[in-house]
Amino acid sequence: MSRAAGKFSYAVLCAAGLVLAVTGIGTFALGKAPMTHWVLMLHVAFAPLFALGLAAVALTWSGLCRAGVESPLNAPAKALLWLILLTGLVVTLSGVVPMTPLFGSNGQHLLYLTHRYSAIVLTAAVLLHLPLLVRHK
Amino acid sequence: MGSPVFWFLRHARLPLLAAVAFWLGLARAEDIHTDSRTPFLHNIPLHDAQGRLISPAPPVSDDGKPQDSKANPYSPALTCGKCHDYDAISQGWHFNADSPTVKPGRPGEPWILTDPATHTQIPLSYRGWAGTFKPSDLGLSDFEFVTNFARHFPGGGPGEPGKIKSRDPQMGRMLITGTMEIDCLICHQTTGRYDHEARFNALQAQNFRWAPSIASGLGVFASFKSAGSIADSWHPGRPAPTTLPAIKYNRARFDTENNVLFQVSRRPPVNNCYYCHTSESALGDARWHGDLDVHIKAGLLCVDCHRNGLDHVIVRGYEGEARDRAITDSAVDLRTLLIRRDNSAINADAARKLARQQLQSEAGQIETLTCRGCHTEGRLGSPRPVHKGLPPIHLAKLSCTACHSGPLPASEPQVVHTSMAHKLGLPAPERGKNTAPVILEPVFLRGADGKIAPFKMVWPSYWARLNGTNLVPLLPDEAAKTATLPQPSSDAAARDPYNTKPLTDQEIQKALESFPSEPSRGEPVFIAAGKIYRVQKGVLSAGEFPAAQPYAWALAHDVRPASQALGSRGCAECHASDSPMYFATVAARGPVEPKNGLSKEMWEMRGDDKTVASFFAFTFHFRPLLKCIVFAAAFVVLGVLILYGLRGLGAITAPASSTGKERS
Repeated sequence: MSRAAGKFSYAVLCAAGLVLAVTGIGTFALGKAPMTHWVLMLHVAFAPLFALGLAAVALTWSGLCRAGVESPLNAPAKALLWLILLTGLVVTLSGVVPMTPLFGSNGQHLLYLTHRYSAIVLTAAVLLHLPLLVRHK
Repeated sequence: MGSPVFWFLRHARLPLLAAVAFWLGLARAEDIHTDSRTPFLHNIPLHDAQGRLISPAPPVSDDGKPQDSKANPYSPALTCGKCHDYDAISQGWHFNADSPTVKPGRPGEPWILTDPATHTQIPLSYRGWAGTFKPSDLGLSDFEFVTNFARHFPGGGPGEPGKIKSRDPQMGRMLITGTMEIDCLICHQTTGRYDHEARFNALQAQNFRWAPSIASGLGVFASFKSAGSIADSWHPGRPAPTTLPAIKYNRARFDTENNVLFQVSRRPPVNNCYYCHTSESALGDARWHGDLDVHIKAGLLCVDCHRNGLDHVIVRGYEGEARDRAITDSAVDLRTLLIRRDNSAINADAARKLARQQLQSEAGQIETLTCRGCHTEGRLGSPRPVHKGLPPIHLAKLSCTACHSGPLPASEPQVVHTSMAHKLGLPAPERGKNTAPVILEPVFLRGADGKIAPFKMVWPSYWARLNGTNLVPLLPDEAAKTATLPQPSSDAAARDPYNTKPLTDQEIQKALESFPSEPSRGEPVFIAAGKIYRVQKGVLSAGEFPAAQPYAWALAHDVRPASQALGSRGCAECHASDSPMYFATVAARGPVEPKNGLSKEMWEMRGDDKTVASFFAFTFHFRPLLKCIVFAAAFVVLGVLILYGLRGLGAITAPASSTGKERS
């Protein structure tokens, strides 16, 4: 994968993630959770873009982040990337699984909480990751 | 046998028996309990309104002449009240509407004053629910109220005033007709032989005092002259006649001790509740399509959830009801009595305080008798709801009834008949979809808790005088006397006994113009189908008006099972561009041409945003695509994580493997 593809995927991930964080975590932080109406629709509209960005980052960045492989990224940046992928996976699955008839009320509620708190961890990981990337540019 | 004890018993038995009898006489009857789950055999003596024992005369008199079994009518208050505290019972929800100390609680079904001839339908309630009129607001006396609604009014409250003023031309009549006591057997008899039609006929004739005896089949009214007609010839302020008609009792109902067997139950059968609480949207012959409430089908009784103690403050079953319940003084008195009986050391004040605390704590428990309470507690074997695939936000935004109660919503709400509004349970020409009052269900509105719930809805309709902003409805009698209304021909009246033919604009204008000009009382107007009609400068105009708004009350039954709940067939049942929950048309119904009534969509009825609702529904077209994209992306990420995870494990385990090989 080219470096440009990697940068583009990361940009897509960040852009979509920003909208999701503002709508999702923002609503939660303002004490107005759960999201409804336009905010919810905006959140859901950007979710596929985020998921595609996450998949693209997984494909383009994972090779660079293997332990023991020579890479422009330092160890914390590598570790954070894996954390982003892992929490990103949890966030996407906990967001989409409630749309299937697999879980009942309790399961759905657990997924909702999982989605919320994994999203907070993901956002924190991305916020920590970004300065490390800028430093290694 | 010569012991002093036996000597004492032999010689003192009469005084002893007298003492026991005296003690029993002193004990309040309501203090006597069986405290068993086995129902007490109610083979009991009857008492009349003066508390006298009723013993019908034998078939043959002492001098050998045949005689009727005439006696005074029995009084439920003084017969049942011998053991069950009537004062406490009379504070129950069914009887306390006119009590100023009772909180009105969630708006419920009103009484609807309906008169097809004048096209009047006015929601009434003593409870002051917004959108209803108190009878006194219309100039309707308590006596007129109870005579209008006696057919389904169980007695007590306004039917049983504390004091009857003989000078009052209406309530004074109760000196002759008797009061309308609570008739316990309406609810508690289990024989299915309570004759509601006979009760209705008796009450129509204003034979209030006699109605319980007649309806329960104990006897018949022993006079050709009704109490109402006797009262007609009585002048207010004069003493009431002392000789009033009797009941000719059915001797077969009395045993040799003059006791009567009442087959009653603390837990009334469902059919008894249905007399007043039938709600039928499958009209006419279509009734056989209905499934009835799933709880009834499962074998529950109404009173399994709608419970009450002796005070009859029945659990209405809505969430938050505990806040609306008042602890009645009678309930506190009874509990205080019990506490002090159990613990003689406690003083009266402390016992009373403890009684109130206990009752308040118990009031909180009624939340477990709501849908949510029962189904989360698992009471009575209720299944815990699983709600697979239903995002939790629905449980926060919707009441349980939104998905589970009433008929499934369609492009228009259905017409529903109720006992209280349509006199169900009494024989009458078949009621149809246009029989007034037209009530629609389900209309999805927001309740006081902000949750969307299904409601029944009725639009008021009446002639009135508008003075500034003050609207005074006219009672049907006055409207009939004052306005020139179209009179149906005898053929039309026979064919359409409920006068369902809508009024045309010309007929409304003609009627309004026929009102005498009385500037001090305001201009004549007609309220119907969500609009106010008025004639200004010879032109009829119609527009929205606050008093023309519909009255709505939450519906809770019939409950459908989970497999038939709204949404069980997918999200699109509600989230589609034509889903009834948002886009059903609610056309105001009333005695005007349908095109003239106010018409709104469901989203508008509850103040939602149509653009949001439409767009949100539109997004559901893309939901499968969204799921595919997100699952595919998640699959890729998962693959990468597994791949590099395994590689990492390989890197960790490889040195160990090579070390092992070297050793071997």
